[in-house]
Amino acid sequence: MSERILGGVLLLVSVAGILIGWNYVPPVSYEPVGPRAFPLLILFLLGICAIALMLDKKSETTWAPPPVLARIALLFLIVLAYALLFDKLGFVIATALMSVPVARFFGGSWKQCVLGGIGLGVGMFFFFDRLLDVALPTGLWLNGILG
Amino acid sequence: MLMQGFAVAGTPENLMIALIGCFIGTVVGLLPGLGPINGVAILLPIAFAMKLPPESALILLCAVYAGCEYGGRISAILINVPGDAGAVMTTMDGYPMAKKGLAGPALSMSALASFTGALVATLGIVAFAPLLAEWAIAFGPAEYFVLMVLALCCLGGLVGDSLPKAMTACLIGLLLSTVGIDANSGVYRYTFDALHLQDGIPFIVIVIGLFAVSELMLMLQNEHAASTPITLSGRLMFNMKEFLMAKWTLLRCSLSGFFIGVLPGAGATIASAMCYAAERRMAGKDSEFGRGDIRGVAAPEAANNASANGSLVPMLTLGVPGSGTTAVMIGALTLYNITPGPTLFQDQPVIVWGLIASLFIANVMLLVMNIPLIRVFVAFLSIPNWLLVPGVAAVSLVGVYAVHGTTFDLILGTFIGGIGYLLRVMNFPIAPFILGFVLGDMMEQNLRRALSISDGDVSVLFASPIAIGLWVVAAGMLVGPRLMRMLDQRRTVPAAA
Repeated sequence: MSERILGGVLLLVSVAGILIGWNYVPPVSYEPVGPRAFPLLILFLLGICAIALMLDKKSETTWAPPPVLARIALLFLIVLAYALLFDKLGFVIATALMSVPVARFFGGSWKQCVLGGIGLGVGMFFFFDRLLDVALPTGLWLNGILG
Repeated sequence: MLMQGFAVAGTPENLMIALIGCFIGTVVGLLPGLGPINGVAILLPIAFAMKLPPESALILLCAVYAGCEYGGRISAILINVPGDAGAVMTTMDGYPMAKKGLAGPALSMSALASFTGALVATLGIVAFAPLLAEWAIAFGPAEYFVLMVLALCCLGGLVGDSLPKAMTACLIGLLLSTVGIDANSGVYRYTFDALHLQDGIPFIVIVIGLFAVSELMLMLQNEHAASTPITLSGRLMFNMKEFLMAKWTLLRCSLSGFFIGVLPGAGATIASAMCYAAERRMAGKDSEFGRGDIRGVAAPEAANNASANGSLVPMLTLGVPGSGTTAVMIGALTLYNITPGPTLFQDQPVIVWGLIASLFIANVMLLVMNIPLIRVFVAFLSIPNWLLVPGVAAVSLVGVYAVHGTTFDLILGTFIGGIGYLLRVMNFPIAPFILGFVLGDMMEQNLRRALSISDGDVSVLFASPIAIGLWVVAAGMLVGPRLMRMLDQRRTVPAAA
């Protein structure tokens, strides 16, 4: 079933892509093949593959049990929140905040998770930002204190 | 030329970088779940952000790649879980040996096997790569386009269980590569008015999303009670008798591993499985294979490392990577504005020969690290997941952030990670995806150039004998492996009944 749904989604994507891509015509053209041909070719082939996926009955995905899937979805949301707050809160705080729930998922005790999170945030900040010269965001709050 | 390479690789800085790369690589390799492609993907943006010169960055990535192939066997032998895909076969005899109290000899023999495989393959690169590059210079844009089709077909034909799935993965990769402004005409393609998409989707965002973020979710799905490693006791070294027993295995598997690795698509996993099966058959029925035969750890490890190094040949000579990891490395080259291709040997001798020389150096370092210092690496097996997973998440986002420093990239990478997770759970192979993304731009440019030369006549793609040959091989690679498997099944079913 999941294969058929994905096949349907991909078929829609390829049709939509072809419709959008049809207009990619340059005002002046210097070459026989413009910017439109390659993406349209790919999308056409993708559409065929999508139909093949829908017709293919052999492979059927076995998903993880619902409680595990819920945890995975939550993990995705945590990483998404981490990505959103990375710049705003600064690396140290954002990393510590992300680490605690993620570490809980992987069986750490509360004490281990909190200490580990703070350790990761501070330790990696110094390792990357100070030692390796990979600039990391300090966050607005720290700028306020330091500046 | 090779001497010039050693001069580059032998500077104190690059030696240090190779040493660090070997160490990180072995650790990444031995951690179950993280393999060479994750290691290279996570380190690439960091190397880039540290402003390492291109040759040093490549030395780092190659050392990590080589190290991973060594590391995978450690967890295979001690906890029966392969550290990376190439080490799957090593569990077959490695773990039984460890249970018999022979963990030490199993580890040292597999380290020697890794070294032999890598050494033979690196010598193979020196011997064959310049020849192949010279031959490939005659390729025009049409041949190039077909060659890339061939590379995608090989990978698509060999990995995964379903052809539509492999093709879909590859086409999604190709499609994503067209996002952004078209260099020839200035037309904006699929940018949806997003400012950040004008230059296309950054390579690193795709790589980290597909191989690091999705990996975190898979780790949560596959989480099982951490198995306690078998403690390392007794003798560490294999003895003379064991060496004599394994010497021909080492040599045979190194050579065949190298040639399998050179073929695009057939990576370390296939090489180690094929060599293990061949050695087992050659050893006969009364061997200890499957119950802890020393040849059973030597064969897959020699093949695994030989093919990993062998897969650098198409990447360096043709600019067409044959595996996921080498595709990431090609992406690294393009980040530095170096165009991969057969002219690389002429245009960038420092990089190419420096890289080859550093492979020799890295493998000697790895052999030294992996025999006397093996206990250091074994200690890494006890890193708990509650520390490892948040650490990987943080390093991944650091890598993405390091390139442009935008929240947009971080969010895009996370979503690509989510899609990557869904695709991986549904058994879509991911290597063709990344290969398609890396090759997409080159494919389109070569196709357009070829058709410009022929003034729009498509038959130019089938004009030269080389192009026709490549088309035939491509079609064969797409259907061949599946046809063989089907025939194989038909033959074994009546035998089993």
